[in-house]
Amino acid sequence: MNNRLETFVKENRKAFDVMEPSAGLWAKIEQELDNKKKKKPVKLYLWMSAAAAIAVVFGLAWLYVGKLQNKDLEIADVSASYAKKEVHFAGLITEKRDSLAIFAAANPELYKKFTADLKKLDEDYERLKAELPTSPNQTFVVKAMVKNREIQLQLLKQQLLIINQVDDYKRVNQI
Amino acid sequence: MQGSRAAQFELYKLYAKAMYNVALRILNYEEEAEDVLQEAFLDAFTRIVDFRQETTFGLWLKQIVINKSINYLRKRKMEFVSTDELSEVPDEDSFDDSEVRLQADEIRTAITELPDGYRVVLSLYLLEGYDHEEIAHILKISENTSRTQYMRAKKKLKSILEQKGMRDE
Repeated sequence: MNNRLETFVKENRKAFDVMEPSAGLWAKIEQELDNKKKKKPVKLYLWMSAAAAIAVVFGLAWLYVGKLQNKDLEIADVSASYAKKEVHFAGLITEKRDSLAIFAAANPELYKKFTADLKKLDEDYERLKAELPTSPNQTFVVKAMVKNREIQLQLLKQQLLIINQVDDYKRVNQI
Repeated sequence: MQGSRAAQFELYKLYAKAMYNVALRILNYEEEAEDVLQEAFLDAFTRIVDFRQETTFGLWLKQIVINKSINYLRKRKMEFVSTDELSEVPDEDSFDDSEVRLQADEIRTAITELPDGYRVVLSLYLLEGYDHEEIAHILKISENTSRTQYMRAKKKLKSILEQKGMRDE
């Protein structure tokens, strides 16, 4: 292996750095540094105000959304298992109400009576829902709401049974 | 921050010359080397908060200088490896320089006469002290290419020195 060149360079390393940059170079660098310094505070100020504005907007949005959510507290916010039950009942209720509506044309008076009963329960439900956000015992209110739905469902079942029987009776009499 | 200007000047005085020579060896043009030097110092001073003490300021600055110089070279559309040059690998012993008078100034001038690709690899390896792994990383070439280029550069350098020696006699 011939490493004479490498050895020579290593031993005489200083002799290779002989060129000099021009004398005015530092002045140029200094000038650029001054320019950057002057620009920087303005930029920083701008960035800070932008950041502050964004923070304010987000803060307001958060407050607003928070308030909205408070006004419209759902059962799910209190108890997930009750919410599940409620959704289940609500689904069945809509189904049964639709079934009931089919008999409406044939039995208008009975249907009116039935819907009035249901409406009362519905009103109770809405009242409970309005109470929920401010209630000291939210679980209790939620329980009542789910119970209300359950009663509605039971009532609807009864109503359907009656209206079915009435319908059958009418039809038999017609013959 | 105001007091740091004096410190910045101290750093400049300490490193400017060495860094200028690093850039000049890669670029071969004084004007470009000065541009690189100016940009590198500005970068270093404005990014000094990024500087972690894992390495010395000098090594960090040197890295900036070399990267900037390479970028300048690339702007000149310089390729660090052309495939047709890779066919034969000269043997290590080809640099038989026993009869070549080694003089720093002569070697220095001879290096400036090397083609760009040779000159960069040779100065990074021989003068800046990087190994082939590091050079491969800096130039984004393979380690083997770096080694080959270095061998060729050395061979070429020797022939330039020989010619000069003959002319002198």
